[in-house]
Amino acid sequence: MIAAPTNSPDAARLVTPTMLVLWLVLATVPLWIARIGLYPYLGIEILIWSLYALAFNLVLGTAGLPSFGHGAYFGIGAYAFGLCQFDLVANLWICLAAASVIAGLAGAFVALFISHRRGIYYAFMTIAFGQIFWTLAIKSHRITGGEDGLLKIARLPANFGFVSFDLTDNVAFYYFVLAMFAIGVAGLWRLVNSPYGRIVAAIRQSETRAAHLGYNVWLYKASVFTLSAAISGFAGGLFAMAQLAAFPDVMSLHQSGYVVMMTLVGGGLVSFWGPVIGVFVFLTARDVIGALTNAWMLYFGLLFIAIVLFRPEGIAGAISAMLQQHSLSALRARGNSAMRLLLGGGR
Amino acid sequence: MNKHRISRRSVLKGSLMASAIAGTGSFFGPWQENRAFAQAKPIKLGLTCDASGQYGNSGQDDLRGIKMAIEEFNAKGGVLGRKIVWTTADTETTPATGSRIAERFITREDCTILIGAIHSGVANAITQVAAKYGVIYLNTNSSAPSEAGENCSRIKFVWDGNGTNFSKASVKNAVDSIGKNWMLLTNDYVWGHTTAAATKAQVEGAGGKIIDNLLVPQNTRDFTAYLLKIQQAKPDVVATAIGGDDIKALREQVSQLKLDGKPAWINNQQDWPDVWGAPDSLFGVFGTTWYHKLQLPGVADFVKKWQAANKDGPIPVPGNVSYNGYMATRELLRAIERAGSTNNVKIIKELENLKLSATDRMQHFDAYMDPVTHQLQQTIYLARRNAKPADNTDLYELISWTEPKSAMDDAAAGKCKLTPYEQVPTVDS
Amino acid sequence: MFDLLPHLLNGLTLGLLFALIALGFMLIVGLMEQINLAHGSLFALGAYVAMQMMGSRPPLPAEMAKAWLALPLGWRYAATLVIAPIVVSFVGMLIEFCMRRTYGKDPLYGLLLTFGAAMVIEELIRLVWGTRDYVLQVPQAVSGGFLFGELIWSTYRFYAAGIAAAIIGLVWLLIEKTSFGATVKAGAHDSEIVRALGINLSRLRLLVFVFGTILAALAGIIVAPIWGIRPHMGVDAVIPAFLVIVLGGVGSFWGAVAAGLLVGLCVGLSGAYASEWSLLSMYILLVAVVTFRARGLWGKKSVLEA
Repeated sequence: MIAAPTNSPDAARLVTPTMLVLWLVLATVPLWIARIGLYPYLGIEILIWSLYALAFNLVLGTAGLPSFGHGAYFGIGAYAFGLCQFDLVANLWICLAAASVIAGLAGAFVALFISHRRGIYYAFMTIAFGQIFWTLAIKSHRITGGEDGLLKIARLPANFGFVSFDLTDNVAFYYFVLAMFAIGVAGLWRLVNSPYGRIVAAIRQSETRAAHLGYNVWLYKASVFTLSAAISGFAGGLFAMAQLAAFPDVMSLHQSGYVVMMTLVGGGLVSFWGPVIGVFVFLTARDVIGALTNAWMLYFGLLFIAIVLFRPEGIAGAISAMLQQHSLSALRARGNSAMRLLLGGGR
Repeated sequence: MNKHRISRRSVLKGSLMASAIAGTGSFFGPWQENRAFAQAKPIKLGLTCDASGQYGNSGQDDLRGIKMAIEEFNAKGGVLGRKIVWTTADTETTPATGSRIAERFITREDCTILIGAIHSGVANAITQVAAKYGVIYLNTNSSAPSEAGENCSRIKFVWDGNGTNFSKASVKNAVDSIGKNWMLLTNDYVWGHTTAAATKAQVEGAGGKIIDNLLVPQNTRDFTAYLLKIQQAKPDVVATAIGGDDIKALREQVSQLKLDGKPAWINNQQDWPDVWGAPDSLFGVFGTTWYHKLQLPGVADFVKKWQAANKDGPIPVPGNVSYNGYMATRELLRAIERAGSTNNVKIIKELENLKLSATDRMQHFDAYMDPVTHQLQQTIYLARRNAKPADNTDLYELISWTEPKSAMDDAAAGKCKLTPYEQVPTVDS
Repeated sequence: MFDLLPHLLNGLTLGLLFALIALGFMLIVGLMEQINLAHGSLFALGAYVAMQMMGSRPPLPAEMAKAWLALPLGWRYAATLVIAPIVVSFVGMLIEFCMRRTYGKDPLYGLLLTFGAAMVIEELIRLVWGTRDYVLQVPQAVSGGFLFGELIWSTYRFYAAGIAAAIIGLVWLLIEKTSFGATVKAGAHDSEIVRALGINLSRLRLLVFVFGTILAALAGIIVAPIWGIRPHMGVDAVIPAFLVIVLGGVGSFWGAVAAGLLVGLCVGLSGAYASEWSLLSMYILLVAVVTFRARGLWGKKSVLEA
């Protein structure tokens, strides 16, 4: 697999130019999304899933660990958010924190069992735990509401002490999610480009070598999984607010498979932004194609196969290849003109 | 951010004004009916029907019934002189998809009413979104008792009979005539548990005894372990609350072993799209709300019209799911006509006072909408496999019909709290 | 104790079926080091094709259909057992052709490709056969029930378990006792050795994949009368198959068979004594084993754990 470029000058920054541009573009979305035939709620879903996919890619892309049951932590976060609101205290910040802490604890628990495993064994252990959590969510209907769902979850107001924002409206909630997304992105970027992130990436390259260098591989694998679960849970808490409810379905193997697909289609293995691209393509395509035909999965499945076959590094990989080629030829062109200048000047 | 709230309201007001103008447009008298039909803004319905996932099959049958009602009204000039248009998308038997599609239908497609449900989770997800906007939602086919109990809503109307209704219609009779030792076979999720609890209460009320309750995990495909256990325990009656694909697998396995004689089996509702897939394996006594060979006025006619509209469909005759979809949609459109308006609260009030004669309903008894729970109270039929079918669709033999009052879910009213009308956001197309 | 016996017996028959479902998956994992997530879809396709052939309207020209329907049910069933897997094997070939581009890369790509293929096949099934359920007809001789120890048992179940045992035995013989098996074992994935032996590697891989496909389709036909036929039946099969392989350990034939039996016993017994946990029991079993044993029960070293 191709290593993520970590040596660019952006790696040291807290906020990169790409982030700034992206945030600015995203901030204008509510102004035009209706005009292109979409609707604000879709924007909310895309942002939440992007954050979730970025968190997931910490495990898959950065650490190279095949986790196929990640929906569990997204779902646990959603339930934790709802239950905190009902049984603890109806405070947005406390409940979002609860969502990520509970999901993180679940992740840490699972990490205890899986972090000394690799490859297919690791993958299936994550599936097994995903299935266990999913089944428990359906079974414990006194707590979760089972397949009926945990309903009537409120979009709690964002209270900053001196000013409080009501988030019940989709556009207001979109901006709140965007703010959370921006913070999440900046945080993840720092994490990936920190010494910690580099060691995790080194473990992806070779566990044995990292171990020889004296790193505690088990601890890094366990902590990155826990961290990813916690952020997924945070996104799950946001999703509970978006849907006004929490349901067990996001925890199913099917839905866990979707986040893998989105991450890879986007190019999560080669680019930090891959998961975001993937989520955007997946959710928009589903919405647009799904409104035209009931067989949208057929077309998306075909697209997915084509990407795996011809562009295995995903959309982000294709874009960067295009840019690289472009800049190479630009360089060559510039080089040529410089030569001509030189030679011409000699005459 | 408050600004956006205001702007949304002003948009809403704008659309209200637009519809008011459209309303006056059709006011110019009956001679302009056609012109008005062409010009008046159509009424748009969002049909939230599963096409894939566990209930994909039933969802599409629901859709066939709904479409038929819409086409009937359009053929006679629409409602209030306005054409009815519809849009549908696959809700995938997944609540998150249900939420998103409901948001899409309401905010992007300007649907003012949503129709269609099989799975209670999906129905609840849609209800939450619809309630936020004040959009009316017809739950056509989700038969979870909680739909008209703790999860009821002012904007939601439930058209199917639920697990409690069916237990009440069947249990007492069976305790008296078959035996007192009962065993329960229950899917381990909400619907299974509530249905089993209702059955248990009925059995014990009638002097019977529950000797065991076997909980079956969702997605069980192989019931041999349970069937062995049942044979070892030797109950008189086994009452099942098994749903979805699981009941189909159970049905096949029971009928293969010819275990359907002794003990006696009491099943909850069987949906026609599920039965049609495996007709040979019907077993025991089961509930339904309608059958295409009911000897009642209008039924034969309805079946013919349905068949004409769905010539090459996968199912040859309408069943309870399609019937519920049709009835719900027809009664909604009639309610709009009676209200003389598409204002949501006016329609809701019309539907809450809905009374349906037996003839109109094509059932044995009059039906009515319970204004407290928003569930339609209707005739509950019990059936078993037909030993002497008249043709290859004649799969049921109806053995009893219970009037709505005796099958009523008494506990629902205590659990259901409807929001006051004033708190329902106004919607008008 | 006597009460326990029927449940042990049930667990064993169930276990043989699990092992059968996992068999094709295991061959492809073990010999090609590829995870074929389309295994479940091929399983489903087998059941659908068989159902179509056994149904009242086989997809044949009118004359041939007539002749076919005139055959006794038992003959038709036997023929279907052979023909349907062959029909499905063409789909397997198609997948293998696509898969070639992923050989030598991270095994993740093969897994993803087959995941996509599984999605596409499931949608195609829905388009061709609709969303409804079907029942696969079986001959009178193997349907119905029989009385044993005061309990009624399903004849078909024992027939299916017997067939499963026979197929498992035959596959073992084929791999261990024939030259084909020897070549394949020499390493369908270890290209150097095979090339040195002068064997066409791509043809070998194709053969292995087709073989795995045939086994998947066969398992689908055998299991369909018990589980029923519906579009997403493939997902119901691929997860236990995957689980059995991981539990047994990659590259171990008898590991997978033993794991299948273990899972069957676990599900069967918990079904009787702790019914609500019966489906979860297999996952708990897996976690318990893989937490302590790095490669499942008897797994060998493989690129799939890199």
